[in-house]
Amino acid sequence: MNRGILALIVINKAGGLIYNRTFGDGLNQLNTNDYLVLAGTFHGVHAITARLSPVKAVQAQQNQQHQHTSSSTGGGVVPSRPEPPSGLEVLESENFRLQCFNTMTGTKFLLFTDTLQTNANADVAMRKVYDLYSDYVMKNPFYQLEMPIRCETFDRKLNSYIRELNSSR
Amino acid sequence: MPIQVYSLYIFDRHTQCVYSKLWHAAAAHQQQHYPAPPSSSHNAHPPPPSSSSSSSQQHHQLSTSQHQQQLPPASQHQATSSLTNGSNAAAAAAAAVAAANARGTVNSGSGGNYHMTSARAADDAKLIFGAVFSLRNMVRKLGGDDDAFISYRTGQYKLHYYETPTNLRFAMLTEPGALSMRNVLHQIYINLWVEYVVKNPLAPTEHKGGEGVRNEMFEMGLDKFIRGLM
Repeated sequence: MNRGILALIVINKAGGLIYNRTFGDGLNQLNTNDYLVLAGTFHGVHAITARLSPVKAVQAQQNQQHQHTSSSTGGGVVPSRPEPPSGLEVLESENFRLQCFNTMTGTKFLLFTDTLQTNANADVAMRKVYDLYSDYVMKNPFYQLEMPIRCETFDRKLNSYIRELNSSR
Repeated sequence: MPIQVYSLYIFDRHTQCVYSKLWHAAAAHQQQHYPAPPSSSHNAHPPPPSSSSSSSQQHHQLSTSQHQQQLPPASQHQATSSLTNGSNAAAAAAAAVAAANARGTVNSGSGGNYHMTSARAADDAKLIFGAVFSLRNMVRKLGGDDDAFISYRTGQYKLHYYETPTNLRFAMLTEPGALSMRNVLHQIYINLWVEYVVKNPLAPTEHKGGEGVRNEMFEMGLDKFIRGLM
């Protein structure tokens, strides 16, 4: 029986795998090398998906027009920088669902869930995972940035949170 | 519920883009399909500039490769022949280089906007194929061989994917809020591709050289079908 959250992968801003953990048996078990390859591949694909945005051109035009109208009306509105295109956020397949959260600093959190999870559910879980990461990894004075995460407290807290979440569903 | 469809790409089993079409407002001025330029294995026969199926960038690549191919024989000739012949060969080589350069600049210059947009469409097709191919392999590795990649969503768009058992791949870009379009892609395959392209005795089974599908019935049916969704 596979349900709830199946796995978590954290990728640093250079595309290296810094954390991976599986919680359910819904996904194939891969060896470490395959996880490293997967992290690197996903990093590249994420960059491509951000570049492919078909609405980029139109948004830029609208932005220009908006600036033009705002300047003609005399309002001293500072032209806002257009939102950078986001890369892949949610991936769906027949057997699982992948939620990706890209932090401001480029660290990516990949949360694998079963296909029944809704967007909101996964968002809540992702937020909590990020909270745990900030509290128990980033505030750990012995953690070196961009290096594999080996923090016992993070592991423990994450495990208990996910177990609680998976059993409540 | 109307859905904004941005574009559709079809790739054959040789990873070549055989059909692509854009419905997006920004691309309204180029309502024509852009087959991908031939892959490097077909570069031996560069298409004439008027065919305009390949990008200006590729013309550059072509001209530089010709340039490189032509230089070694010329220099050999120069080494073995007498001084006068050598200067002739050098002049010939220089002329070849100049011609190659001129060809590159002429094509990129005369191509203008059309070449730029077609180059961009071809690049996009390649990028989409790369992304989709990697994600599909990733999904199959993690979810097992029976798993299938369905779609991904970014903040700006959603890509729907459908693959037939014969490795024909459909990728459709829509607005991010769209529901699953897998059945739509399946319908396109069954009702349009099979009916008008596969059952057409004159349609080539392989699309070498980036010719792509130029089938009026298919294109009309597809356009009608997609516009019905929007």
